Amino acid sequence: MNRLEILQLFRDEERRSKSGLRQLSAVVWAQLKMMLAYKSWLVMDLLSTFASVVMYYFVGLQVDPLRLSQSGWGTSYLAFSLVGVATSNYLWACLTRLSHSIQHEIRGGTLETIAVTPVNMLVFFIGLTARGYLVSLIYLVGVFTVGVYGLGANLSFNPQSFLIFIVLFMLMLVSNQALGLIAAGIIMVYKRGDPLVFILAAVNEFLAGVLYPLELLKRFPAVQFLSMLFPYTYALDGMRRVLILSASMPDVNVLTDIVVLAVFSLILVPIGLKTLEWGYGRIRREGTTSSY
Amino acid sequence: MNIAVETERLTKYFRGDGGKERIVAVDHVNLSVREGEFFGLLGPNGAGKTTLIKMLCTLVIPDEGTARVAGFDIVKDAEKVRECIGWLHGETGGRALYWRLSARDNLRFYAYLQNIPPDIARRRIEALLEFFELSKDADRLVKDFSTGMKMRVMLARTLLSNAPILLMDEPTVGLDATGAIETRRLLQALCRELHKTIVFTTHNIFEAERLCDRIAVMNKGKVVAVDTPMRLSEVTRKYRGVEVRFRGPSEEAVKILEGLDVVKSIMSVQPEEDHTVIRAEVKDEEQALSEIPKAFSSNGLKPIGVQLALPSLEEVFLSLTGGGS
Repeated sequence: MNRLEILQLFRDEERRSKSGLRQLSAVVWAQLKMMLAYKSWLVMDLLSTFASVVMYYFVGLQVDPLRLSQSGWGTSYLAFSLVGVATSNYLWACLTRLSHSIQHEIRGGTLETIAVTPVNMLVFFIGLTARGYLVSLIYLVGVFTVGVYGLGANLSFNPQSFLIFIVLFMLMLVSNQALGLIAAGIIMVYKRGDPLVFILAAVNEFLAGVLYPLELLKRFPAVQFLSMLFPYTYALDGMRRVLILSASMPDVNVLTDIVVLAVFSLILVPIGLKTLEWGYGRIRREGTTSSY
Repeated sequence: MNIAVETERLTKYFRGDGGKERIVAVDHVNLSVREGEFFGLLGPNGAGKTTLIKMLCTLVIPDEGTARVAGFDIVKDAEKVRECIGWLHGETGGRALYWRLSARDNLRFYAYLQNIPPDIARRRIEALLEFFELSKDADRLVKDFSTGMKMRVMLARTLLSNAPILLMDEPTVGLDATGAIETRRLLQALCRELHKTIVFTTHNIFEAERLCDRIAVMNKGKVVAVDTPMRLSEVTRKYRGVEVRFRGPSEEAVKILEGLDVVKSIMSVQPEEDHTVIRAEVKDEEQALSEIPKAFSSNGLKPIGVQLALPSLEEVFLSLTGGGS
């Protein structure tokens, strides 16, 4: 291919149609390709999924079923912990993945090369979260499969419970992703916020009661109050009611959880989008799109 | 002729010393680049070239002034500006690629983002990979590439979109001599034959001299001169002088020149491969240009050429920037 042939190629007429969906699929495709480049990591992740479920199975053998049933969550600790363990990876993905990915793009210098293309940066940022979502999906399916089919955890899976679970799950993603947008916007500017987001996710996971019933917090009112400030608490409560207690509509507790999550989403999503926009605008004003 | 890039009092400040100090990176810059022009930004480190380019490609928001690229305001119509530009930041040395993707996948990804129709994208990607001699390594992960190879992928990525305006920051840095020559030729051809506007920064004065229609010399955030390389040489010369090239004994030639009234002094005698160059300061250039050949031929010497002694672009640069690094 010589210079003249190259020039001829660039004389071609081209009609471009701007498609956000095509751009989003490109970002997701690239993220997944990069993820698959780490083959050993994938294998290790699948193994650790299996190992964590087995670990909770054995922990469950030590938990007094009576104490668990007094909290109102049935008698199987494995079933109780399974819902928390399966969904907590999504909590981490929502809260930390975007800020982590943006920092990675800034350090790699690739954020700048993306930012000068006609891509809508919000589309790009959404695409960046895909990797975390996919890994979490593998983890969620893996945990439920091993827990239910391998270790006999008794969870209620029927069309109605599945539908309510999906509603709660989607609201959990939206509300927590909004918190992730806020974190990403702030970290983009201050660069060094990763430990803070890590602490936020860990505290959130702890306070939402991934591994213990929240009824235990009654002895610590301040901590119990704090736990109510996080959307994941309501999502977990609702999902457990559906999957463990077979709650069906119209269950007041589940409805309350859905309404609270919807309110969280309605408030947090605009704040998250604004914070992200502010962060991106600020690094463009400060000229730090490739500084870390 | 239409204007492709235009800046008016474009200014950017950065915070230094922990935010206490305000540093002027680009200082009220006025520039006008015509469509199809090969325009160079030359200046020492920290002159503001990269910040200026980053403002033009909408990466950095200016603090004062305005700029239009392809007729669009870089702040208000940033998205439209991005549809018209290709940007390369050569100084990153290949850092700005996805190292866990292959060269082909990197290009494919950017083609998708730029909304290039798939069939055109495929043809262009293969052609550019071949042109930059990357075809046989196209499916290897970029992390295993040398700096020069990464640079070639970045160049291919910049050209992929067929943008009418190319903003290139050090496009040949990291390339070997052959790669740099081929790239310069390609850029020149894109400019001359496809009428693309190229604004590029370089530290390589000879590259700027060879490629650019016009050059802006920047120093401490300001544009200190804008003109063709030839005219920049003319305006910055500090003495009236002529340059005599000839074959033969230099002592005799010096004696002839010293014997002429129009010659004030001999500045330098520089032996080249097959001839000698004598630079002389003169009282009147026109008179010198007419008298010197006559004096040489009456003494049996035939000069290869007698011309005005203009400072090289390197000398111009040093003169305008006060010998900046």
